[in-house]
Amino acid sequence: MYRFGVAAVWLYRVTWGALFPTTCKYHPSCSQYAIDALRQKGLVRGSLLAGWRLLRCNPWSHGGFDPVR
Amino acid sequence: MIIFSTPIIGQLETIMRHVLDWFHGTLNLPWAWAIVATTVVVRIILVPLTVKQIHSMQNLQRYAPQMKEIQKKYKADKQKQNEELMKFYRENQINPAASCLPMLVQIPVFIALYYSLRQFAKHPPGGDLSFLHFIPSIAAHTTTHWGGYILLVIYVASQMASTLYMSATADKTQRILFMIMPLFFVFVIARFPAGLVLYWVTTNLWTVGQGLITRRLMPKTPPPDLFKRSSRTPPKPKEDGDGNGAQPQAEPQAAARPAGQPRKVRRKKGRAGRR
Repeated sequence: MYRFGVAAVWLYRVTWGALFPTTCKYHPSCSQYAIDALRQKGLVRGSLLAGWRLLRCNPWSHGGFDPVR
Repeated sequence: MIIFSTPIIGQLETIMRHVLDWFHGTLNLPWAWAIVATTVVVRIILVPLTVKQIHSMQNLQRYAPQMKEIQKKYKADKQKQNEELMKFYRENQINPAASCLPMLVQIPVFIALYYSLRQFAKHPPGGDLSFLHFIPSIAAHTTTHWGGYILLVIYVASQMASTLYMSATADKTQRILFMIMPLFFVFVIARFPAGLVLYWVTTNLWTVGQGLITRRLMPKTPPPDLFKRSSRTPPKPKEDGDGNGAQPQAEPQAAARPAGQPRKVRRKKGRAGRR
C-alpha cells in the first residue's frame, strides 16, 4: 500500500519539485522524509507524519536534522 | 454538505473561476490580466513568508565562511556534511532560506488555474482571451502561435532570474543545475495553456521584484548575539544516541554549545522561534 504514497512523492519530485529551486531546510528533505515515513510506518501513519513535517517546514521553524523515528 | 461531496479539484476550479470572474466582470479586466491579478494577489498573501525567506538568506550569507569550512571538512561524505550543516544552522539559529510551505501553497492555485483554462478551451467564455496582442488565446496551448514562443523565452529568463534571487544553496554546481532546469522544462510547459505560462512568468517576475526591493529597503537583520544564547540550558553531556552527538565542531562558537540530542534541541528552538 505504501508504494502508492512513494509513487506520489516521486510524481511530485519530477514535476512540481523540479520547477522550484528550493532546498528543504530539514535533512532529510521533506520528500525524502515522506518516503522514509511511508516505508517505515505505512501509508496512513506515514502520510500523517509527512503532512506534519510539511507544516513544520515553514519560515518560522529552524530546520535541521530530523529523520523519521 | 454539498461542498464536501464534490471532488477537491472541482472545488478548486470553482473557486478559481469565481476569482477570475470577479476580476473580469467587476474590475473589467481582460481574462489574461485577470490571471495576472490573481497571481499578484496570491503573491501578496505570501509576502510575509517570502520576505522572511529573503531575510534569512541574507543571514545565511554572513555565515558563508564557516559553512564552507564544514563543507570542506566533510567533503567525502555528503550525508554527514548535510547533517553537520544542519547542526550548524541550529546552533547559530540560522533559518535556512528555503522551506516547503510557501512553495506548496502554490500547487492548488496552479491546479485550479490549469483546470479553469481547460474549461475555457472547451467552452470559451465571453470576452477577450488574448494577451498584449501577441497571444491570441490564453486557453490554447502555448506553442499554437508564435507569441507563445516569446512567452516561453520570457519564462526561461524569469525563471533563471528568480533562481538567482531565491536559490537557497551556495553550492555552485547545484546553482548551475537549477539555472539550466528551465531549459528542459520549456518542453513540458509548452504543452500547457498559455495562461499557465503567464501565471508562471508573473510569479517569477514578482519574486525578482520582491527580492530587489527587500534587499534595497529592508535593513539587514543584525547578526545573532552568540553570547546571549550561551546562557541557555546547558545540554546534557551524557547522550550520544544517534551517533551525531559528539562531533568535533569546525566553528569555535559552536563548540561552546555541543549538540544535544537533535530532536529535543530542535523542538525547543522551534518554539522559541515562534514567540
